[in-house]
Amino acid sequence: MERKREKEINGEDAAGEEEEEEEAWGGGADSVLKLTAEGSSISIRYHSLFGSHDDLLLLEVDDELLPDVLHHRVVVRGQPDEEAVLCTPSATYAMKFVGTSNSVFLIPPGKSTPLIANDVMTDSNGNSIDTPDVVASVFKVAPGNIELVHAAPRLDKLNLLLTKRPYRLDEDLEDDLQYDRDLYTYKGLLEQIQASEEELRDGLKALSAVEIDGFLRIVDSKSMNLVLKVILNNSVLHEWPLNALEEDNVAVVMESDGFPQRIVLHCLETFGSRVEGNNLWSLDEKKVCLQFAKEALDGGKMKMESFMEKWMRSIPSVMHAELRMLEGEVLYEKIGVETWVRAFSVAALPSTPAERFAALFQERPKWEWKDLEPYIRDLRVPGLSLEGLLIKHTRRTQPSADVEPIFSAR
Amino acid sequence: MQIKVKCNCGEGQCPEWAIVELQGIVESQPSIGNQLQGLEIGRLCCSSSSSSQVSYTFTVGYHELSGSKMALKKPLLVLKKKKAADGDNSVLNSSEVELQVIGVIRHKILFKNRPKALISKPQVKDKKIAQ
Repeated sequence: MERKREKEINGEDAAGEEEEEEEAWGGGADSVLKLTAEGSSISIRYHSLFGSHDDLLLLEVDDELLPDVLHHRVVVRGQPDEEAVLCTPSATYAMKFVGTSNSVFLIPPGKSTPLIANDVMTDSNGNSIDTPDVVASVFKVAPGNIELVHAAPRLDKLNLLLTKRPYRLDEDLEDDLQYDRDLYTYKGLLEQIQASEEELRDGLKALSAVEIDGFLRIVDSKSMNLVLKVILNNSVLHEWPLNALEEDNVAVVMESDGFPQRIVLHCLETFGSRVEGNNLWSLDEKKVCLQFAKEALDGGKMKMESFMEKWMRSIPSVMHAELRMLEGEVLYEKIGVETWVRAFSVAALPSTPAERFAALFQERPKWEWKDLEPYIRDLRVPGLSLEGLLIKHTRRTQPSADVEPIFSAR
Repeated sequence: MQIKVKCNCGEGQCPEWAIVELQGIVESQPSIGNQLQGLEIGRLCCSSSSSSQVSYTFTVGYHELSGSKMALKKPLLVLKKKKAADGDNSVLNSSEVELQVIGVIRHKILFKNRPKALISKPQVKDKKIAQ
């Protein structure tokens, strides 16, 4: 009898016997929770299977999160060397174990069974004299519970994984024996990345990732530049308006030039947006100009004048480039009388505040607000404003009220 | 690696567990050793009951604790680590373990004060409380 119970509690039985299992707890939680009549009492005992039961965990869950948990919409994600996070379809929570020095007696549900053999429970007529003592049984003393803290998704690893092997126009998957080496499917990324699905999809979008042959890839920037340039050249040849490119038309012409349709479409997605209701695409002036600025700076830092000349020459004649487009993408440096410019993209910096500020102060020890702002405005920490982040991670100096404040490392 | 959190209790039907919580630890007499299974810890008695609060005493050996029932601000879920019953072992090690919600805790009976010593000797109990 005892052994049977143990077997059921250990959950080795096939699913579908849940009720039986619940019944088998025999803890009597109900008799504790419903002990509300004045003067009534019950006996609290150690369960016949009392022990450390490390496979049982207590998870504190907000009422608003409860439906997600009960409907199988949450998943714990993390590699063995990472701190586990719990993800709902849209949010990520850090899991913190909070210990207690109190004795927390856990009493499972189920019909409580009197443990003392009912030897003296019957009188000479065989009727019971006394109702058997009501017992509630402690199955485990909980050392604490897990709390959930809303956290930012851990997306830096996504960048790391996807940049291992960017897509190139000249790559040929068939020729590579290990064709899927360092490539990740969406399912594979879910195994690797500590983020909710919604956050992962946003992250993939932010990296301009595209699904090619079932794998999520980022397209290498030289290939992207080439596709963009050929689209722009074709737009001149065929007199396509840049704010109303016909998708089918572009795809056919580009395919005859040897560019895969998926990559052409991805190029339109990256540098433009769909015109509502039509099969038309409008190229985004800022995104296109920025791409050409990055290309111009590919070889390293340049004098401002040469950079501007090169940049202006590369952009399509109908577009207008402005320095404002380069916020968060380039840094200016005064050397003597000359200003130099070089690429420094916010997208390549870590996404957690502490690491971001460390990277920024490694780049330059002192920042003016107007330079710093583009590099931190995307930081999101639940419960902390940008102002709060600055106080936490920087030292602000302002010798007098009429000069710009300077931010340095704490 | 992903561990799915599942619940087979059915729509909002998770069985409710109970918590009795007290400060410090309960020690058994040295003669008991580690064989705690089946041993009585103490007697839980409902001392007064009003609509707003239900009070309890918990008598452990020669000590009496006073406390009350409180609703948890956030419910606690009781999770159990299980081998996944999917039968889908094609994906390497990811689906090996799952966490199953087997219960929910919404109330606890909390004894947050130091125990009071009982002057008259109660029936022989083999327990005492140590802070």
